[in-house]
Amino acid sequence: MTTPDQLADYDATDRLTLDANAVAGLLQEIFGSEMTVVTSQCAHCGNQAEVGTLRAYVGPAVVLRCSVCTGIVARIAVMPDGRHRIDMRGAAFLSL
Amino acid sequence: MAAINWQVATVDAIRDETAQVKSFRFDVPAWPGHRPGQHLDLRLTAEDGYQAQRSYSIASAPTSNGAVEITVERVRDGEVSPFMHDIVEVGDRLELRGPVGGYFVWDGSMPDPLLLVAGGSGIVPLMAMVRHRATIANAPPTTLLYSSRTDDDVIYRAELDRLAADSGGLRVVHTLTRSQPPGWTGYARRVDHQMLADVVGASADTLQVFVCGPTPLVESVAQNLVDLGLPPSRVRTERFGPSGA
Amino acid sequence: MTDRFVTRGFVGRREAGGTDTRGRIPPGQYITRDFPVLSAGPTPHTPLDRWTFTLDGLVSGPVSWSWPEFTALPSRDFVVDISCVTKWTKLDSRWHGVAVDTLLESVDLDPSAAFAVAYSDGGYTTNLPIPDLLNGQAFVAWEYDGAPLAPEHGGPARLVVPHLYFWKSAKWVRGIRLVERDEPGFWESLGYHNRGDYWKEQRYSGD
Repeated sequence: MTTPDQLADYDATDRLTLDANAVAGLLQEIFGSEMTVVTSQCAHCGNQAEVGTLRAYVGPAVVLRCSVCTGIVARIAVMPDGRHRIDMRGAAFLSL
Repeated sequence: MAAINWQVATVDAIRDETAQVKSFRFDVPAWPGHRPGQHLDLRLTAEDGYQAQRSYSIASAPTSNGAVEITVERVRDGEVSPFMHDIVEVGDRLELRGPVGGYFVWDGSMPDPLLLVAGGSGIVPLMAMVRHRATIANAPPTTLLYSSRTDDDVIYRAELDRLAADSGGLRVVHTLTRSQPPGWTGYARRVDHQMLADVVGASADTLQVFVCGPTPLVESVAQNLVDLGLPPSRVRTERFGPSGA
Repeated sequence: MTDRFVTRGFVGRREAGGTDTRGRIPPGQYITRDFPVLSAGPTPHTPLDRWTFTLDGLVSGPVSWSWPEFTALPSRDFVVDISCVTKWTKLDSRWHGVAVDTLLESVDLDPSAAFAVAYSDGGYTTNLPIPDLLNGQAFVAWEYDGAPLAPEHGGPARLVVPHLYFWKSAKWVRGIRLVERDEPGFWESLGYHNRGDYWKEQRYSGD
């Protein structure tokens, strides 16, 4: 729900920013377990945080960005046959 | 935890909340139970195979009988919410999966006083928390700050009034940003630094906070709370993007 | 083969081809009158007094234009159909900008240059064969629908390559690098097609 007065300072692309919690279903589909409370480390700035705090952008695919440096932590594409392409080079480690 | 699968649920009740908002209750045969704040994913498939998928926060408190409720605002140019409002009937079957989301959850196991901040349909996951809170003993003191455009847009109005009056330690603070009814003495502006300072009071270092609503509101509130001295780790956010449905 | 569940009464926000659209809707696409906004990250905001557009790589000498210089180049209106890999197609979108052909007149291409990489503020890149940029097929636009291009749609300027899926039309573009070998860009390196011709439904690598 949006009102023009609330959105005056933001343009549409920033309004699209979500928390990674919004793609919890996709992450669980891929990894087989709840991922948003798992800790990841951003490979760019070293910030450690729960996956749920990452910023998610959903376009043709999903991009997860560090909430501190906006560097890309992970990219996830879903292919038409249901398989996933995942690039996690932006995550230095994931403690599970 | 097993991977979650899509399953078919039946709509067994539809309720009008406001002119633009409806709640849908599903009978889900294999529902594993959920925690307040989690959501479910809904998947719609047209005859020619075209699919759309949306996430909806679960509005109902945890229950063991397989009934799950979501609350959906009808977005005028939306693809899914107009379908939900205009086409779906009791008895219809829809595909869903869940519950999902472990990060934006309050299940009563955190003992700290709570601050819940909602913008518009961002109230939905927070309402699951409020409803759950009403069923547990020794619930922590809780303040709900709820921003709506007008009094008619306030979702769950009567229920919130009742829960706040029950002296169970729930305080509900409304702000109406666009217009107010005659005699209104509450806040009448967007949530801002001063308003948050008012509700936080002296509790900046003990509160656990959940903020949910349109992305601009969530970002503004989260930043203001950090400016007020709350540790960022105690402020959990759920951005709804440009629209909640 | 499993039966797919069908949701009663769901059609989605789609329009069947209307008058005069026969043959204009690529396979697997749906018409929209909106202009959906999709992104991979926060909107960059480069002040115009620091904005430049550059042609570099396998050229005789790199060329850069400032904003005033760039927008003073010979430019024109373009009316084109555009298609996104997320399945929406928009007919008759109106733009104003400079053809990539015009930009390339300022450089001599090395004979070994065969591909291009467009690069943008915020780190986005996309690759395509040089021939897809030539002969009026591509332009850099700073106006959409008669007004300055909004940041959410890639302003101040974006590349527009209307005959390929719209992820090739890099928002917030700052330059094009000419290279010898194809270099998969942001989406291409995740499995999207290196060329992206939507009449051939080249959405993913291997299509």
